[in-house]
Amino acid sequence: MPIAFAMGVVGMVGMTYETGFRAAISLVSRLIIDTSQDYGLSVVPLFILMGLFVNKGGISRELYQVSNAFLGHFRGGLAMATIAACGGFAAICGSSLATAATMSKVVMPEMRKLGYSDELSSASIAAGGTLGILIPPSVILVIYGLLTETSIGKLFIAGIIPGILGILFYLVAVQISVYRNPDAGPAGRRFSFSEKMAALRGVWSVLLLFFLVIGGLYGALDFWPIHLTFSPTEAAGMGAMGAFLIALFRGSLTVRETLTVLKETAGTTAQLFSVLIGAWIFSNFVNYAGLPESLKEMIVSAELSPWLVITVIILIYVALGCVFESLSMLLLTVPIFFPIVTGLGFDAVWFGIVVVVVTEISLITPPVGLNVFILRSVVGDISVATIFKGVTPFWMMDIVRLLILVLFPWLVLVLPSQM
Amino acid sequence: MKSIARLLHRLSELPMLLAAATLFVLMVLTFADVIMRSTFSAPIEAATELTRIAMAVIVFSALPVISGRAEHIVVDLLDPLFHRAGVERVLDGLITLACGVLLVWPALRCFDLADRARSYGDLTEYLAIPVHYITWFIAFMTLITAAAMALRGVVTLFKPDLLGGARD
Amino acid sequence: ADINLTISSWLPPAHPINVDMLEGLIDMMEQATDGKVSGEIKLGLAPPPAQMDLILDGAADITILFNGYQPGRFIATKLIELPGYQGSAEAASVAYWRAHEQFLAKADEFKGTKVIALTTHGPGQIHSNKPVKTLADLNGLKTRLGGGVSADVGAELGLVGIQVPAPKVYETLSSGAADAVAMNMGERLSFKLNEVAKNVYEMPGGFYRGAFAVLMSQEKFDSLPDDVKTALEEKVFGEPASKMMGIAWDKSDDDARAATLAAGDNTIVTASEEDQAKFAEMAERVRAKVLAEISDLGIDAQAAHDMVAETMASYGK
Ligand code: NA
Ligand code: NA
Repeated sequence: MPIAFAMGVVGMVGMTYETGFRAAISLVSRLIIDTSQDYGLSVVPLFILMGLFVNKGGISRELYQVSNAFLGHFRGGLAMATIAACGGFAAICGSSLATAATMSKVVMPEMRKLGYSDELSSASIAAGGTLGILIPPSVILVIYGLLTETSIGKLFIAGIIPGILGILFYLVAVQISVYRNPDAGPAGRRFSFSEKMAALRGVWSVLLLFFLVIGGLYGALDFWPIHLTFSPTEAAGMGAMGAFLIALFRGSLTVRETLTVLKETAGTTAQLFSVLIGAWIFSNFVNYAGLPESLKEMIVSAELSPWLVITVIILIYVALGCVFESLSMLLLTVPIFFPIVTGLGFDAVWFGIVVVVVTEISLITPPVGLNVFILRSVVGDISVATIFKGVTPFWMMDIVRLLILVLFPWLVLVLPSQM
Repeated sequence: MKSIARLLHRLSELPMLLAAATLFVLMVLTFADVIMRSTFSAPIEAATELTRIAMAVIVFSALPVISGRAEHIVVDLLDPLFHRAGVERVLDGLITLACGVLLVWPALRCFDLADRARSYGDLTEYLAIPVHYITWFIAFMTLITAAAMALRGVVTLFKPDLLGGARD
Repeated sequence: ADINLTISSWLPPAHPINVDMLEGLIDMMEQATDGKVSGEIKLGLAPPPAQMDLILDGAADITILFNGYQPGRFIATKLIELPGYQGSAEAASVAYWRAHEQFLAKADEFKGTKVIALTTHGPGQIHSNKPVKTLADLNGLKTRLGGGVSADVGAELGLVGIQVPAPKVYETLSSGAADAVAMNMGERLSFKLNEVAKNVYEMPGGFYRGAFAVLMSQEKFDSLPDDVKTALEEKVFGEPASKMMGIAWDKSDDDARAATLAAGDNTIVTASEEDQAKFAEMAERVRAKVLAEISDLGIDAQAAHDMVAETMASYGK
């Protein structure tokens, strides 16, 4: 069943119970009309477009080549290179699914050629792909920002350190995997210094785009007399245009291919928006029924300690993340938990990053892990069970990372506080 | 029957082309707005409302197409259960049909809301474009989406062989 | 209470509209009906331009509109937004209600709903992150305007319009994507302008004002018992509620002015006599344009304007 309709119907029935059919159908219609014209949401298609254009320029392969040149000669080196390349791709792509799908086409054949186990190779892509929503740009952070009226620019900047931390922890997870099964990831050849330098030259466009988008959001592109500062939508538009020009400049874009990219983006946008509208309908019902206030009152009257509450909320997220589709999980829970969490004095930006990290975890935990599913469908001859098995050390490292971010909020907040 | 399915498939390219073109315009518009503002202190004042209209056009041009092609984000824990029982196709057809039928009510209400916007004379801020044109477009495309889903549901139930050849 | 009305609002929780005005309305209704009627504020049911639909379709019983968010729909009520009136928000809100009764209601711009209060915020001023000392400094300033008459005035002043929703004002100003915002003084507190727009350029009487309307579902009102209806009509709806809201606006302006002066690094520059005279000419052009629009609705716009000016000038004297 399409998730958008599932949530929409439940929300609609609930609203009818609360206010009657005429009011409910009217609210639903208004949401259909208004959500599709929400200015803030225009970043969604533009960031998707940027990722697809960049990919047309062959960047995913170059990212992999440079990571491989530096990491390939270690045991499990190709898997580590995959993680690093995913991290790099995440810096220009706002979606975890797209990151995983894109990288799988490039690296899966290479790892198989070198005799990597399907478990490790698929797991490193599925896990590495989750970085797409933490390292900016990020569609999920945009939606969190819009839902909670938190600065999207600050959220993006806040994602950088936890994202780098994520890369490091996944590298550890790769090492754990090859330690337990040394045959899973044999070492590749060592690259010469000049080969490494040559590979590095391929990634200038990623760096350029990343600094354009993030620098513009940060307000750091100050070339007197021109001072470039972007709103998130503008950053996405500049990124998309930049990626388009780079792909064009590299001669890897025909009119037909441009059209394909545009159509694919439009299709994905429509998919995401129907989920958004469905979830909005549902959360409107939750809001109408006064659930967040009741919960808040309950917590206040029980005098629970803030740390207990946040622990329980995180545990709920991890549990929900096992069985829920990630975007819907976020859309359904944030309107309920956000007022409670900020009411207890926690930082809105910090909570946004925590929510994204639990969303990342949800993408790779069984039984419903969208990144695992997408990999299964792109690779074809591999079972979901195999990927889930291989990915276990990765989400365990995610839990460790989550713990660290909860215990040391400074890691999240130090960069945005400079803005 | 086959040729009708093929015709529908071909027809569905039209709204996708509209969505693609609008998206490209949106990208260029955003770029131009930033450049104009940063270098000449002369932003395109109507950029915001044009962006909003462009978004509605992109989403609601593509929506009927992805709905007719069954490309909605679907998550189903119970799928394997029904797969074994062999009722997967029937269930899929019924759900798609139901989604299409359920969508008719909001679609019709959107027409009412468009009408209301017209009767109050609502305009966009800078370009004074009548708001009801946009609302009407959304209503119309929602109705087309409803029809596409209902049709796909019916075809899945009674003529599943058509889905393979030319994806409606 | 026997009757609990759902009041929809789209403003930030701590905004004076919620904590002073809508809560104030609830208090007034409770007192007038001996507690039979009360209300509950619901935030975020729908975006600002959809508020009237909530009332028309029964999704909420009462809501508040900012008329400027719906260009094309509200022409007659632009009357109260015009520059040139002198006086408090209280005086303006009372005058607005009286002008509505006598002249503007004819245009039926709130059709299908019951208008229970009309109000306008205090004088709208320019808050900027760049120093503004004279009227000429406003030329080319990238400014967030709220729609309605503020857009017409902005065009006269040479402001470059930036469209962002109110909650994004802080971010837009702090990033430098906009230079200024046009708002009444009180919003300096609601939107933390003391941090990102440290300069206020103030025109006595304001560059413009902003019209709000509080609406009730006609259906809901009709369904109330007769004694409740009478009590509400006599003691709450209309001038009493409008006046209460105006007083709350004035209080928020005073609070914000005190906070701005106390902030130390904020400055309030009042327009020089010369610039006031220059702006009066601009205001005259805006007035002529808007009054012509209102006249086209079949309303004696000049008489309505004179009545508002007169009421405000003599208010409380
Ligand atoms: Na990303
Ligand atoms: Na999961």
